[in-house]
Amino acid sequence: MQFFFEVLIGGLLAGVMYSLVALGFVLIYKASGVFNFAQGAMVFFAALTTVGFISMGAPFWLAVALALLAMAALAFFTERLVLRPLVNQPQITLFMATIGLAFFIEGIAQLTWGAQVHALDLGIADEPIEWLMGNTGMNISKFDLVASGIAAALVAVLAVFFNKTRTGRALRAVADDHQAALAVGISLHRIWVIVWMVAGFVALVTGLLWGARNGVQFALTFLALKALPVLILGGFESIAGAIVGGLIVGASEKLAEVYIGPHVGGGIESWFPYALALAFLLIRPEGLFGERRIDRV
Amino acid sequence: MTEQPDTFPRLLLHQARLRPARPAFREKDLGIWKTWSWAQVADEVRILACGLAAQGFERGDRLAVIGDNRPRLYWAMMAAQALGGVPVPLYQDAVAAEMAFVLQDADIGFAVVEDQEQVDKLLEVLPQCPRLKRICFDDPRGLRHYGQAELTAFEDLQAAGRGFAQHNPDFFADELGKGRPSDVAVILYTSGTTGQPKGVSQTHAAMIQTARVLVAFDGFVEADEILCYLPMAWVGDFLYSYAQMHIAGFCLNCPESPDTVMTDLREIGPTYYFGPPRVYESILTQVMIRIEDAGWLKRRLFHAFMAVAKRVGIGILEGKPGIPLRDRLLYRLGEILVYGPLKNVLGMSRIRVAYTGGEAIGPDLFDFYRSIGINLKQLYGMTETCVTVCMHASGDVKLETVGPPMPGVEVRIADTGEVLVRSPGLMKEYHKRPDATREAIDAQGFFHTGDAGYFDSGGHLKIIDRAKDVGKLADGTLFAPKYLENKLKFFPYVKEAVCFGQGRDKVCAFINIDTAAIGNWAERRNLPYTGYADLASQPAVLDLIRECVEKANGDLAQDSTLANSQIRRFLVLHKELEADDGELTRTRKVRRRHIADKYAVLIDALYSDKTSCYVETQMRFEDGRSGTVSADLQIVEAKTFGAAAARKAA
Amino acid sequence: MTAGRKIGRPILEIDGVSLAFGGVVALQGVSFDVREHEIRAIIGPNGAGKSSMLNVINGVYHPQQGTVAFKGRRRRNVDPHEAAQQGIARTFQNIALFRGMTVLDNIMTGRNLKMKSNFLQQAVYWGAAKREELEHRAKVEAVIDFLEIQHIRKTPVGRLPYGLQKRVELARALAAEPELLLLDEPMAGMNLEEKQDMSRFVLDVNDQMGTSIVLIEHDMSVVMDLSDRVVVLDYGRKIADGTPDEVRNNRGVIDAYLGVAH
Repeated sequence: MQFFFEVLIGGLLAGVMYSLVALGFVLIYKASGVFNFAQGAMVFFAALTTVGFISMGAPFWLAVALALLAMAALAFFTERLVLRPLVNQPQITLFMATIGLAFFIEGIAQLTWGAQVHALDLGIADEPIEWLMGNTGMNISKFDLVASGIAAALVAVLAVFFNKTRTGRALRAVADDHQAALAVGISLHRIWVIVWMVAGFVALVTGLLWGARNGVQFALTFLALKALPVLILGGFESIAGAIVGGLIVGASEKLAEVYIGPHVGGGIESWFPYALALAFLLIRPEGLFGERRIDRV
Repeated sequence: MTEQPDTFPRLLLHQARLRPARPAFREKDLGIWKTWSWAQVADEVRILACGLAAQGFERGDRLAVIGDNRPRLYWAMMAAQALGGVPVPLYQDAVAAEMAFVLQDADIGFAVVEDQEQVDKLLEVLPQCPRLKRICFDDPRGLRHYGQAELTAFEDLQAAGRGFAQHNPDFFADELGKGRPSDVAVILYTSGTTGQPKGVSQTHAAMIQTARVLVAFDGFVEADEILCYLPMAWVGDFLYSYAQMHIAGFCLNCPESPDTVMTDLREIGPTYYFGPPRVYESILTQVMIRIEDAGWLKRRLFHAFMAVAKRVGIGILEGKPGIPLRDRLLYRLGEILVYGPLKNVLGMSRIRVAYTGGEAIGPDLFDFYRSIGINLKQLYGMTETCVTVCMHASGDVKLETVGPPMPGVEVRIADTGEVLVRSPGLMKEYHKRPDATREAIDAQGFFHTGDAGYFDSGGHLKIIDRAKDVGKLADGTLFAPKYLENKLKFFPYVKEAVCFGQGRDKVCAFINIDTAAIGNWAERRNLPYTGYADLASQPAVLDLIRECVEKANGDLAQDSTLANSQIRRFLVLHKELEADDGELTRTRKVRRRHIADKYAVLIDALYSDKTSCYVETQMRFEDGRSGTVSADLQIVEAKTFGAAAARKAA
Repeated sequence: MTAGRKIGRPILEIDGVSLAFGGVVALQGVSFDVREHEIRAIIGPNGAGKSSMLNVINGVYHPQQGTVAFKGRRRRNVDPHEAAQQGIARTFQNIALFRGMTVLDNIMTGRNLKMKSNFLQQAVYWGAAKREELEHRAKVEAVIDFLEIQHIRKTPVGRLPYGLQKRVELARALAAEPELLLLDEPMAGMNLEEKQDMSRFVLDVNDQMGTSIVLIEHDMSVVMDLSDRVVVLDYGRKIADGTPDEVRNNRGVIDAYLGVAH
């Protein structure tokens, strides 16, 4: 039983990281209806920019601030150069555009900072929590716990921002009905810049946490693929869905690996979430928290 | 305390001295609860009284108050009383013609009203009411272009009052000094089932005395909260809200609008609540609808714990011994998971005392509230007696009764079964109706309520019917058909019942089954059926109804007065009673005489020893055609109980 | 009824506006004006170009020819949100509310333009932004009171019946304190009682807030009761313009409505 909990908690903590990636997708999808394929590239870009500045001798916080600035600039130019010219185009066109954007961002990142793997040290050791180890015998990583704490704080900040501020309300309004949002004087362009900036901010946090764990490397871009089952489970439009979806994916892949894996020869961690998502797609295509759209005639 | 204040204005000043900073009124306006302290209210009332005086309001003048429950309208009543005048609250939803009657009957010269809607009505009847010379309105919306000389905005009246007060600084205190407790404090119009409404004149002394008794009875204190949402023209609001706040010093909360009462209840969380049964019923209906809409888990939880509450909740509320620990724990858990959140949603978390009255409350309804821990009690009274004739004391509550007489109230049962009342809260008179007053109050000072009732063994009064509808069986014991019929109709399977027995040796009944409820029941048992007539003739259904009748008989047997009214024989009618066929009134009340004539054959059969009877009836179908239906009706014998057996059966 | 209201100078001037989508002509050389504090109706058969006209006024469509001047300033190709900034608010024929948000939040979005604190201030300088939020909330509450929708303040809009949604949409437009209010079939699909309520609100808005109103409506009795002047469009052209009485007796209008072949 204790082993089960150890696996479960480890899985949930890893799931928090998936949630973060999915969150970036949800934010942009909600506000502009665009499935942003470049989210993974943005994570990579943000992390690489931070370590790049650090390697140039900048103190950690300054590097983070500069990376944040870079993300803001990226959001601004994306809106100007990609989204605005394509306004009112079909979703698939915008999706294709984000694929192009992804290659572009990856290219820029590697051109600027080089392609080698960088280590990133956030000053949190990836070691078991001794107190827990001593008292319950469970092996829970301190780093995972802190990372989850940071992720939770980020989600809380976003929740306050969305529900309590004018811009948050405007973001929700745009997500709900473009036409009405325009009529009350909300500028779509401005909102798009803001939402890409927020997604960039989320990408930065994600990139730092993942980068610190696995090294800042090109593989970070594949995180986008990891987010897919999370989004299918949780629904593309729900922040709560992204969080719960991430937790489910994290926990289920670890549990499946440990309990089902040995019977089928192991290695199922990498594909189990997709199978789960596929099964889920058959039962509830709109996701756990997605809106079931009933179009009235 | 040396001398207790004996008029409402003196009580107001007394409260303002005693607890100047405590809240006296709250009102939700523009989304925010605004509060007025007792000191502020006393000042507002002084200004308002001066304003009215400036407009020529004199001692003995009458002031109409019309609108939803608003602090300013309550203050207007206080101001009129301070000047020795008489407030006359009117029902705000009355049409202009109805208002005209009251305005004329009460010789009303001044009115303070809520808004344009009421102003329009008064202006419409102005030509018929020449005495009405001043109309003050609270909400100016839509009235900007009204030029009538009679109209004053509330703010202008206040301004006039301030000016007047400056020139006559002692005026208000002087006027207060002139008031006597025997002055009429309010005239409340009763709708009356027949004829024109009558104005009931109540004195300061009667209202204050009654309110003091009530405050002592349930221990009201300044910390209590009440939401006043029932019409100001109704005696209950005047007594429970207005009079009691003057004695106990608690705060009146006025809802934002009539549509927001449920939300406001939740925000205020009153400790003290009054509603007629229909209010409790509509709240319960809303709960049930929401539960049916809720998720699977919530629904299961709700039903599971409501079953627990039904089993032990009332016992726990009444502190009865002998409830198993397991049930107590389950109920405690239910309180956390279901009852608590439910009460919170209903705004009933803080309720100490809740009352209902005015008409009989269904047992399921009554038990529902009591089982989730709401101390719901019944009371009995009318405008003429300042309500408060009988009342349940906490811990001594019976569904069937309205409780024992209140302290200071004498209740007698006349030979006819009519309930007579003598109390300090008795009205002074019907306004300008000495004839009606003489008819209602006899030489000994007893008020004839028109209700028939009797005392049970515990000293509780039980109201059974209107006195004129009550008769006697052949052996001289009481026969109250409507009471029996209601008892049967509380069973969901029984839609209508008609009881016979006047001058006969036993009681027999016709019954209409409830097609929906019995149809449902039949489906669950896989009994095929085609419609009402088919269901009504099925032996299984007759058995089901017999069980209901016997259960009712069991109850009746416990009651020495009504034991003889147990239903010996009944039949289930082959058709539903219809207003179109003249069997019901348009308000769906049974027309007993007409039915007795129409189905004389069946009645004869009930009182013979036949076991079935053939009948043929003309009826009108829904599409307007008419035709005959015929059937061979079974007559069913129901078990009756002796008093001892009854106790066992129950 | 409208004795206290002073109709003033033109606030909106439409001059020779033409609009076409591909080869389809929606508006052709339409000119009219709307004066301050006036209720101006646009009527016409289906497809006459009424909604296109409204969309031109609030900047959804940009006319190929002609000019639109608001408050004496000719404008070039404004966007809807710029039109909103200049003081033009509107409602839509098929209700465009934020269905997932509460009534209160929906109406608060109407205040969006009046809020001064910017994105960063909201993120960092929490105190001032919060104070500002409260001030705007008070304004919104006044609108809620005005339209008598207190009881649904916290209800998500998607759950409301149609008639109330229309009222919420009007509330959101009013929250922006517009100088010009565009109402696109405010009474479509309402029952008689709801129509009466809505008419009363429209008149009250005009009377008490002094807002100029442009109204598209199919129910002729409503149009005749409410409006000061009426523009009649048919196949994208203006065929009549005048007081309700003048329009009612206009030959061309009668023909258009009776469907005389052109």
